[in-house]
Amino acid sequence: MTARKRLTAILQNGGLAIYAVFALFPLLWMFILTFKSDAEMLTTTFVFTPTLVNYQQVFFHSDYLRYIKDSFIVSTGAVLISVLAGVPAAYAFARYNFKKKETIAFQILSFKFAPEILVVLPLYMLYRQMGLYDTYLGLIWVYQLISMPLIIWVVRGYFEDISVEIEHAAQVDGYPWWQIFFKVLLPLIKPGLVSSALLCFIFAWNSFTFPLLLAGIKIEPITVAATKYLAQSTVHYGQMAVAATCSALPSIIFAIAIQKHLVRGLSFGAVKG
Amino acid sequence: MAKIELINVTKRFGKLTALKNVNLEIEDKEFFVLFGPAGAGKTTILNNIAGIQIPDEGVIKINGEIVNQIDPANRNVAMVFENYALYPNRTVYDNIASPLRSPKHKKDENYIKGAVTKAAALMKIDMLLDRLPSQLSNGQRQRVALGRALVRDPNVFLMDEPLAHLDAKLRNLMRGELKEMQHNFATTSIYVTHDFMEAMSLADRIAIIDEGEIIQVGISEEIYYMPKNQFVAQLMGDPEINLLSCDLVENGTGFTCLWAAAPDNPIQLPEDEELFSRIRTLENKKVNVGIRPQNVHYSFEPVEGAIEGTVYSFETIGNKSVLTAQVKDAHVRIIAPNGLVLKLDQPVYITFDISRVIVFDADTHEYIGRYDESEVMKLVNEHRGESFTRAGENHG
Repeated sequence: MTARKRLTAILQNGGLAIYAVFALFPLLWMFILTFKSDAEMLTTTFVFTPTLVNYQQVFFHSDYLRYIKDSFIVSTGAVLISVLAGVPAAYAFARYNFKKKETIAFQILSFKFAPEILVVLPLYMLYRQMGLYDTYLGLIWVYQLISMPLIIWVVRGYFEDISVEIEHAAQVDGYPWWQIFFKVLLPLIKPGLVSSALLCFIFAWNSFTFPLLLAGIKIEPITVAATKYLAQSTVHYGQMAVAATCSALPSIIFAIAIQKHLVRGLSFGAVKG
Repeated sequence: MAKIELINVTKRFGKLTALKNVNLEIEDKEFFVLFGPAGAGKTTILNNIAGIQIPDEGVIKINGEIVNQIDPANRNVAMVFENYALYPNRTVYDNIASPLRSPKHKKDENYIKGAVTKAAALMKIDMLLDRLPSQLSNGQRQRVALGRALVRDPNVFLMDEPLAHLDAKLRNLMRGELKEMQHNFATTSIYVTHDFMEAMSLADRIAIIDEGEIIQVGISEEIYYMPKNQFVAQLMGDPEINLLSCDLVENGTGFTCLWAAAPDNPIQLPEDEELFSRIRTLENKKVNVGIRPQNVHYSFEPVEGAIEGTVYSFETIGNKSVLTAQVKDAHVRIIAPNGLVLKLDQPVYITFDISRVIVFDADTHEYIGRYDESEVMKLVNEHRGESFTRAGENHG
């Protein structure tokens, strides 16, 4: 290794290290806040007496676990329904020709274009009328706007990468359609399905506008509930930091899990190419 | 073990008609080749027999039973796809074993192991069983696809250009193996190719297809010596047949042929009553005379009655060469030995072995007749009898 190469390596890694500090510092700061008492919150930065009182407050003296449960139910429900309905839809978009196919596909994608705040007020009116306001079903339904387009578009791409002759070959081999789907197609779309489903889960988990306006009394996902720590008179930054840190955990875990599944090119070598 | 029939089968894709009223009858245990240019509808016929596509009109019968409404899994056909269609996430072993693990053809794992090993050995891929398709060359993938079809005992093998991606040596070897295998298995096979050598050497019978229509069905000799029209004549044979556009002039009892490129050298057609009587029915007596390159003779010295042209090109193709002579605007391909020393544009004198020609109508391009047609017919009937007795033997 020449001196020049070594210098480049040092500069590159140094640059990356600076960027990592820049990107992770807010998270680190939030993590530090969780161990501070309210008194020390704004006075010191790194030197303080660590305390677990914030954790105690959040986990044992508030409804935090209920909020997490609500978040979990609506996010999982939303992803499940998106997968159950989205995968067949993606298959149809990939394999069949029907009138206005691309228009409909684009229409579905366009659900993601509008800012949530633009549609949430009319939805609020409708939800009140239909009795969907402040229900699990209502939130799961509206979360389809977030998750369904993503799943359909990602999985469609995976289906299109699979040569249709592979399905034909399986038919000729003697498999019924449902076995072709589960044994032949599903393993091939798995990377796309898993990663898009995890992404959808994260998006649904992080969603704030919809649950803020369409729920919030009986059902309180953590994103909305976290604002409760900003009380009228006092602001419990420490408790809020605990709530935020813990509710970010699923997102972080899933984000790391996705990386493992983002393996493309599994269908490589199936057909002449 | 099945007889396959297609009756008035029509298949459309949107506005495009892929198959036009196709009628085919493929005998039990026959090796039947579908031959035609790209886009002719060969693969569509296979897909319809397999049940992957369903004809818009007409019926398909397997063993006399109409199968239009039966799905591919229940037709008991094995198919080799042109693009292999292997399962990318499964090893070669699991790919070949796949039909035997399906609910329809379920076998126990011991049986599967034996069958897969046998098929893999046959295809010379037994050392590749643990690999994934992505770790194979195209030729190896193609053999895996063949293995997957051969591992079970279907009504019919459908093979879509299964040798197209093998190297020349392996292709020749596999061609022989396939023929041998088909003979031993005694299973009806339908084989798609656009390679005329493959078609000629493998087929019990050949169907020529163009633009979704069956042009001609027959044994290879029949199609080679008595092509139904110019298209078939051009397709069968390499180098391609020469077509000379001629005016025929009646003189006394016979005809003189005036080739448009050399009208000063009239060629007297030898007497053939059957051929002459058919020519007489033509109104304008304009014909295209088809003559195979091996029946044209050349000389570099002037010869009595020869037509003068110039050397246009000289290509060596293996153990022989193709000399193309230019006479005015027309090109004539001639088989010549290798190693001729010649210059482009040097004069060459060509004569035709006129008693070997095939005569086509210049307007419709249909077959009119050829010399010694009765002799050819006799030969064809003998060969046809042979291939039928062979099928008959297998019955026993």
